[in-house]
Amino acid sequence: MTTADRSGAPRALLPRLRLWPAGGAGTAMLGIGLVMVAVLLVLALTVGLNPPREALTGNLRLRFRPPGTEGYLMGTDQLGRSVAGRVGAGMVWSLGIALVAATLALALGTVLGLIAAWVPGWPRRVIRTLIDTVIAFPSLVIAVTVIAIMGRGFWTLAITLGLATCPIAARVVYAEAMSLARRDYVVAAQLAGVGSTTILATHVLPALRPTLLTMFAFTFADMLVAESALSFLGLGVPLTAPSWGNMLSESREFLVEAPWLMLAPAGAIVFAVVALNLIGDGIAARARRRGRSAM
Amino acid sequence: MNRGAALRAALAKRLTELLVLLFAISTLLFFLLRLGGDPAMLMAGDEADPEVVALIRAQYGLDAPLWVQYLRYVVAMLSLDFGTSLSTGRDALGLVLERLGSTLLLAGLAVAITTAIAVPLGAWLGYRPERGDRQAVNAVVFVLQGIPGYIVGLLLIQLFVVELRWLTSIGNQGLSSWILPSFTLASFLVPKMVRVIAANVAEAMREDYIRTARATGASGRELLLFHALPNAVLGATALIGTQFAFLMSGSLITEVIFAWPGFGALLVASVTRLDFPVVQAAVFMIAVLVFLVNAGTDVLFSLIDPRLRRQTA
Repeated sequence: MTTADRSGAPRALLPRLRLWPAGGAGTAMLGIGLVMVAVLLVLALTVGLNPPREALTGNLRLRFRPPGTEGYLMGTDQLGRSVAGRVGAGMVWSLGIALVAATLALALGTVLGLIAAWVPGWPRRVIRTLIDTVIAFPSLVIAVTVIAIMGRGFWTLAITLGLATCPIAARVVYAEAMSLARRDYVVAAQLAGVGSTTILATHVLPALRPTLLTMFAFTFADMLVAESALSFLGLGVPLTAPSWGNMLSESREFLVEAPWLMLAPAGAIVFAVVALNLIGDGIAARARRRGRSAM
Repeated sequence: MNRGAALRAALAKRLTELLVLLFAISTLLFFLLRLGGDPAMLMAGDEADPEVVALIRAQYGLDAPLWVQYLRYVVAMLSLDFGTSLSTGRDALGLVLERLGSTLLLAGLAVAITTAIAVPLGAWLGYRPERGDRQAVNAVVFVLQGIPGYIVGLLLIQLFVVELRWLTSIGNQGLSSWILPSFTLASFLVPKMVRVIAANVAEAMREDYIRTARATGASGRELLLFHALPNAVLGATALIGTQFAFLMSGSLITEVIFAWPGFGALLVASVTRLDFPVVQAAVFMIAVLVFLVNAGTDVLFSLIDPRLRRQTA
C-alpha cells in the first residue's frame, strides 16, 4: 500500500478501467480460453476415446519411470501404466461428467428461474425458498451421501452434481428475468397481447444469452472440480476408472517416489479450469462493454 | 419497517429455511436409503446370515410398514435422537459433537488467514487496477483461482512435508500441524475473496463520496482506508452465507487429506461405511451451523450497516 499516498492529484475524471478491463482484454481472454478448450476437445476425441494400450494395461517392469522416459511423455505409474495416456483417457470421464452436470444444472436452473420470475404467488415463493435453502447448504455433503447410497458411476455422479447445483443457476436466471420483465419492450409485448411463452422465447431468453454462456463456463469448471474432488474422496467414478480425481487419489501414496503421478492430473485440471474461467470472464467483459457502449 | 422488525423477519426466514432444509434432507436420506436396497442388508453386509438380517430388521424397526418407519424417524429426529453408530455403537450425535471443536478450529483459522490475505491484497489491487503491477498480480490470482483447494493441499504436503520436512501433515498435533490444513482450507476461499474485494474497492473509488472526500483534501491513504475499504468489506460480508457452504465443502476434503479429527472426516468415513445414524447427525450439525452463520450475518448487518441503522425510528 506504499503507492496509496502518491495519488494526491484528482483522478476522478480520468477514464476508469475495470479490474479485468472490458473490451479488448475480454476478447483476448475469450480467444485464449477457446484455443485451450479446443486443444482439450481434440485430445478428448482422439486420445480420450481411443486410449493407448499402455494407459490401461500396465507393465510391471516399467513402474515409476519418470517423465520423459522413451515412449512415456509423463512417465509411468505404480502399475507401469502410461500417465499421459491415463490423463487422456480421463478426459472422457472428467470432462464428460462435468459437461452433463453443467448442462443439467443450467437447463433446470433456467426453467425454475423463469417460472419463479413469471408466475407470482405460491410458485415463486416455493421456488425462492427452495433456492435459498439449498444454496446455503454445502452441496458436496449432499453429493457424498447420495453417491454412497446410489453407487459410483458416470450418470449417478453427473445427475447428482447437476441437481445439487441447479439452485445457483436458478437464482441468477430469476434475478435477471425479474429485471427483464420490467423492461419497456417486454411490457409493450404483454400489452399487445403476446403470450407468455412467446415473450419468454423471443424477448427474455435471447437477452439472457450472455449470462447463460458465462454461467455455463463457470459451472462447467465448478463441476470439473467437484467431480475430481468426489473421486478423490473415493465417492465419485468407479475406483478403476482413469478419471483425474481417481488418479490424484491414487497418487497420494506415492508422493515421495513419484510426484509426477500427482502433478500430471493436477495440471490437467488446472489447465481446463483456467481455460473455462477465461471464457466465462471474457464473455462477461464483452457483454459489459456492449451494454455500456449502448447506453 | 423499523430495524427490529426487519431483523425479526429476516431471522424468521432463516428459521424457516433451517426447518425446510432439515425436513428435505432427512426425507431424502430416508427414502434414498430404502431405494438403494434393504437397509438391514446394508448394515449386515452381503454375506450375512438371514437370521442376523432378521434380527437387525426387528431391532431397528425395519419390519414395520414404510410410513410407520418414516413417522418414527421424524419423531426421533425432532427429539434429537439420531440413534447409535452402527460401527462403534456409540451415540451418533455425541460422536459428532466431540469433533465439533476441531472442525471449528480449522474453519476459524482458515477464515482468519483468508481475511488477512484477501483484504490488504484486494485493497491494493482495487485501488489502482489500471497499473501494470496490479494487472500482473491479477493474472496470477486468476490462475491461482483455477487450482482446486485440495490440489493446493497436496502441493503443500509435497513441498513442506516430503521435500523440506518442515511440517507434519497428519492429525492435530499442536500448532505446527495446524499450518498446512488451515492454509489449504483458506486456499478454497482466498482467490474469490481477493477478486470480490478488489472489484468492490475499484467500484467504491468511482463513487461520488470518494470524489467529495478527495475534494475536501483527504489523502489517497485516507480515501482507501476510511472511505473505500469499509464499504468494500461490508459488501464482501454479504457473501458470508454462500462462502460458508463452500468452506464446509472444503473442510470435508481438507480434513480427509490431513486426517484432521473433525466431523467432516467423520462424515466421509461414515458415508463410506454406510453408518447412517452418524451421517444424519453430522448433516444435522452442518445444517445448524449454516443457520447460525446466516442468522449471525443478518444480525451483524443490521448492527453495522448505516443504511439499516438509519431506519430505526
